[in-house]
Amino acid sequence: MPKKDTPTAALTRYSCPYCLNTFDDYEAIKSHVLTGHTRESLPEPEGTIHVTINGQSHKLRVESDWSLHYLLHDKLGLTGTKLMCDRGACGSCTVIVNGRPILSCMTLAVECSGKQIETVEGIADSNHPLIEEYVKHHCMQCGYCTPGFVVTAKALLDRNLHPTEQEIREALGGNLCRCGTYPQHPKAILEAARLLREARSAEES
Amino acid sequence: MRKFTHINAQTIEDAVSALRRYGDRAGIIAGGTDILGRMKDEILPKYPEALVNLKTIAGLDFLREEAGVLRIGALTRLQDLGHEPLIREKYRALAQAASKTASPHIREMGTLGGNLCQDIRCWYYRNPNNRFPCLRKGGGRCYAIEGDNRYHSIMGGSVEGGCYAVHPSDTAPALVALNAGVITSKRLMNVEDLFQVGVAKTTALDADEIITEIQAPLPAAGSRSAFLKFAIRKSIDFPIVNCAAMLTISSGKVSSARICLNAIAVKPYRARKAEEAILNKRINDKIAEAAGRAALSDAKPMERNGYMVGIARTLVKRAILACAGTD
Repeated sequence: MPKKDTPTAALTRYSCPYCLNTFDDYEAIKSHVLTGHTRESLPEPEGTIHVTINGQSHKLRVESDWSLHYLLHDKLGLTGTKLMCDRGACGSCTVIVNGRPILSCMTLAVECSGKQIETVEGIADSNHPLIEEYVKHHCMQCGYCTPGFVVTAKALLDRNLHPTEQEIREALGGNLCRCGTYPQHPKAILEAARLLREARSAEES
Repeated sequence: MRKFTHINAQTIEDAVSALRRYGDRAGIIAGGTDILGRMKDEILPKYPEALVNLKTIAGLDFLREEAGVLRIGALTRLQDLGHEPLIREKYRALAQAASKTASPHIREMGTLGGNLCQDIRCWYYRNPNNRFPCLRKGGGRCYAIEGDNRYHSIMGGSVEGGCYAVHPSDTAPALVALNAGVITSKRLMNVEDLFQVGVAKTTALDADEIITEIQAPLPAAGSRSAFLKFAIRKSIDFPIVNCAAMLTISSGKVSSARICLNAIAVKPYRARKAEEAILNKRINDKIAEAAGRAALSDAKPMERNGYMVGIARTLVKRAILACAGTD
């Protein structure tokens, strides 16, 4: 521990592992921790996040520079989420975080603690009618952008079970498809919305 | 991306103290759609040592009307702004601007505060790996003056021979037209005073200052506002030109007007000459067109961006007509 009068003392700051406070000397931080934090359990290591992915909760250690896409695709093996532009311009990497369709390439994994994340795998596992309708209406050619479209469409249907064709087109505005399958998507989504409404009214009656 | 220290700020004071500790070596992240692109491409000579995350600060994502003032938390997502009935009804220009920014996904991530503080999109500045060490990075010259300047300023540089990169925000002109104010961790200022050209920054904010709230006064009775944007691919592109206007019309005549263009100058450009041209007049096609011409009377386009003058004139005209309800 450097003494107070050494030149490095001014640069040395002790930061509390529990909170963001910093202290100039060891005694100050010691008394801070003893008075303020003795009842708390040990803080978790830096970069620990708690996330729920497709309904399953995880406790993970992540690096600060990992994108959410990197975590899902490269580390957890959920390879349905695709990476194309890596700059937030194409929509291929869309996942649903707390109900919002967002771009996992432009989201830091370390900022996802406490969030509910849903990927295309989760949507497929839940037998969502979108998957079947996408196949029926042949909404893909090469298929690389398709998971992004499906996830965006799922987020739309979660919010709005009666979307108009215009609303669907607007919601899909951030998803690019080089094969040009655009006209097929509204057809599939309208059909999936109808099936979901039917299923819901059958449940209610 | 390279490694950096990531700090989740719990309060505004947390964020400010972390920023103070790191000085200009820290970046601020809210939605992240701008700064992460900058870091991935390593466009700046300096890479941030730390990112201070503002999303973990509670109570900065709100939207309410109080005592005749619209109060919007800086972390409010653009998507929520565009869909909020209160804003669509009374502050139409802001709702239109928010829902025409970028793509739906980016609007779900991007915040209003971040949209105001976003960096420029000049393709020399944004070129990966700091290929063009331009004036905005503390370098020697502006490459757009002699280079391809089709998306650069038609209102001159930041100074003579200075930076010609335009401000790309869609919400900024709308907030200027609505006469909004910005509350930061330090002070209160008019949104017009927020923008300032600097090295690797677009605002007058200090390194340890963050925007916490945006306030807009309730428009006077008889007011209407509108926002228009010209871009190649509808909303998903950054604007080539955009324009917001708010007109108050009493007994058929314009009693007050605020018109702001953006993406044509280094800062949002208040078209005062257009405002003067329509004051105390009845709006018709001719008057609106004359206002459009007046707005651009000071334009000095560069070699390749003369086309923006005509677009800007037309947007001013259409914005005025939209406010007058004669479009």
